[in-house]
Amino acid sequence: MTKKLLIVDDEAEICEFLKSFFEDRDFKVATAHNGAAALEQVARFEPEVVLLDIQMPGMDGLQTLKKIKDNHPKVKVIMVTAVETQEKIEEAMRLGADNYITKPLSLEYLEKDVQDKIDLLAKGT
Amino acid sequence: MRPSVPNARRLSGPRACNEEGPPVLKKTAFSHVRTPKTLLKKSLVALVLFFLGALSAYLLPFLLPSSATWVPWVHHPLLPIFVMTVIFVAAHKPIERLIKKLLEKYFFQKKSFAQMTLMDLAGDLAVNLDLQEIANLVVNTFGEVLQLKTVTLLVPDPLQNNFEVASAYGWTISASKKVRLAVDTPLLKMVHQTGPHILMRGPVLQSLSWQEANALARDLDSLRAGWVIPLFVKGELVGLLAFGALVPDTVFDQGDFHFFREFSAAIGPCLHNALVVKRLRQLNFELQDSQSQWVQKTKLNAIEKLAAGIAHEIHNPLAIISGKAQVLLMQKGPKQLEPNVQDALNTIVKQTRRAADITRKLLLYSQGSRGPQEWVSLEKVLDETLALLAYQASLDKIEITRSLDPELPRYRANMQEIREIFLNLLLNAVEAVGQEGKITVEMKYRREEEILEITCSDTGKGIPEEHLDKVFNPFYTTRHEAVGLGLFVTQQITHRYGGSIRVESQVGVGSMFILQLPCSAETARNGDGEKHGESIFSSKSGR
Repeated sequence: MTKKLLIVDDEAEICEFLKSFFEDRDFKVATAHNGAAALEQVARFEPEVVLLDIQMPGMDGLQTLKKIKDNHPKVKVIMVTAVETQEKIEEAMRLGADNYITKPLSLEYLEKDVQDKIDLLAKGT
Repeated sequence: MRPSVPNARRLSGPRACNEEGPPVLKKTAFSHVRTPKTLLKKSLVALVLFFLGALSAYLLPFLLPSSATWVPWVHHPLLPIFVMTVIFVAAHKPIERLIKKLLEKYFFQKKSFAQMTLMDLAGDLAVNLDLQEIANLVVNTFGEVLQLKTVTLLVPDPLQNNFEVASAYGWTISASKKVRLAVDTPLLKMVHQTGPHILMRGPVLQSLSWQEANALARDLDSLRAGWVIPLFVKGELVGLLAFGALVPDTVFDQGDFHFFREFSAAIGPCLHNALVVKRLRQLNFELQDSQSQWVQKTKLNAIEKLAAGIAHEIHNPLAIISGKAQVLLMQKGPKQLEPNVQDALNTIVKQTRRAADITRKLLLYSQGSRGPQEWVSLEKVLDETLALLAYQASLDKIEITRSLDPELPRYRANMQEIREIFLNLLLNAVEAVGQEGKITVEMKYRREEEILEITCSDTGKGIPEEHLDKVFNPFYTTRHEAVGLGLFVTQQITHRYGGSIRVESQVGVGSMFILQLPCSAETARNGDGEKHGESIFSSKSGR
C-alpha cells in the first residue's frame, strides 16, 4: 500500500524539503501552497495524512482544516505551527486536528507521528 | 498665647444659621442644662441684689430732703420692700452680666484655657492638608482638653458611599475602624435633617418614636457617643465629631455648646480641604495606574505583533536549516558521517531550537496568562525540566539536588508557564555554575502565610551587587551567546500569578533565586482533591 501525504505550507522551500524527506522514506507526496489548493488536492490526490501549516495567507490553516474534516473526515491532519499560540492550537484540536507540531520540526518525531497515523488508518480507526 | 479669641469670633460666621432650625431640637438641646456653675452664678446674683436692695432701703430716709420727712408714707413699713423690688428688677440684668464676667475671669479660667487651646488647634489645622494628621490632632486634643471618654471623627468615603472613622480617642483604632456608617443609617439621616445642630443623645431619642429611637441609639452605641457634632461646609457634610463623656450624667451648658459650634465651624473647612486633597491624590494615583497599565498593554500588543511576525518569518528558515541537518544525522550505514561532522550537525539542531525559543518566549510574555489552567504537580514539572538538563549537567560535573516539602500542594496554573519558570531558573544556574558546582532546588509550602516558595541556589560565580537590580530587565545578560529574556520572562510569569521573585547573591559564592507564589490553603486542598491518586504519588516521592 502506498503511503500518501499532502504537505500544505505557503513557504515553497519547506514544502520541497519535506517532500524530499518523505519521498526518501517511500511516501507519495503532493504539495499545496494555500488553503484552496489544499482542498483541491485532498479531493484529487486522496492523501491519508495532511501536514497543514496554521498561518497562511487567504484561507488559513484552521479554515482549511475545518473544510477537510467536513468533507473527508477520515483524513488525518497534523497541524504545523511556527509558534505555539495556545488559542490556535486549542481551536485546531477542537476542529478535529489529530496532532500539532511546532517549527523547527523534529523530523524523527514527525516521521514517527505520520507513520502512526497511517498505521491507525490501516487498522481502520 | 496666640490671639485666638478674635480668630474664633471671625471663624464663627455660620453661627447665625446655627441659631435657626427646628425648634424642637433647640428646646431639647438646652432645657436640661443645670451645672454647678449656673447655680453658683444665680445665687451670687441673688445675694448681691439682696444686699443692694437692703442698702438702698436703709439709706432711703437719709437720702430724702429733710423737708420730706413729714410725708407720712416715708415711714411706711412697706417702703423698703418696694425699693428693694425696684432695685431687683432694674439691676438684675447688669448685675448678672457682671457676675458672669467676673466668674469667667477668675473662677473658670481653666475652661476658657481649654477652649483657647482648641481654637488654637483649629487655627493650626488650617495650614495642614493631611487628613490623618488633622483627624488625630482633633480627636486627641478634643478628648484630652475636655477630658472626654471617647472622641471619634468620621469622614465621608466617596468610593464606598459611607462614613468611615478617620481617627478615634479613648478606644482602639482597630475597634473603631470596624465602624462604618452607610449614608442611609438613622444617624446620618438625622444629621441631614437637622443640619449643623449638635445632636444630644437623650433629648433626641426622646423626641423620636421608639423604633426610630432604637435605630438611632444603635448608631450612637456603635460610636460610643452621647453627642454628635456634624461638620458642615457650604451645606456639605464633611465629617462627624462624636464624643462620649467620662461621667454618665455629664451635661454641657449653653456656653459649651456655643463653643462646640465655633470649634466645628473652624475645623470644618480644614477637614474639607484635607478631604479634597485626599480625593485628588486618589484620583491622581488611579490615573497614573490606569495610564501605566495602558502603556504596558500597548507595549505588550506591539511586542506580540512583532514576535508573531518574527516567529513566522524566522521559524521557517530555522525549520529548513534544522531539518537538513537532521536528515544528514539520520543517515545510516555507509553514508553515516564522521563523529566531528555529527557533532557540528547536532549543534546546528540545538542552536536553531534555541533561536526559535527567543521568539517563543517573547510571545509567551506578551500574550499574558491566556493559556489553559490546570492543576499542576510542581514536582512533576520540575523533574521533567531536570531531565532536560541532566545531559548537559552530567557533561559539566554539575550536581543537581532537590529538596521538596512532603506536603507540597498542587498549583493551579498554566503548565507551560510553570515549566518556563523552572527551565529559566535552572538554565540560569547551570550557566552560572559553569564546569563544576552544585545546584539546589527547594520547594516548600508555607502554610501559615499561604505561600508556595521555590528556591534555586547555585555555587556559581555570583552576581556583582551593582547588577543585582538589573538581572530581571529584558535583554540584560552577561553572556555573549544569551538573549537575556529568561529571568525577565520568569518575573513576568510570577507577577501574573500575583507572586514575587528576588535574588540574593555574593560574588564567588553563588546566587539564590527565591520565588514566592500565593497559594491559599483552600486552593491547595481543592488541588489535592481533584486528582488524589497522583497527589499521593507526588508527596511520597517528595520525601
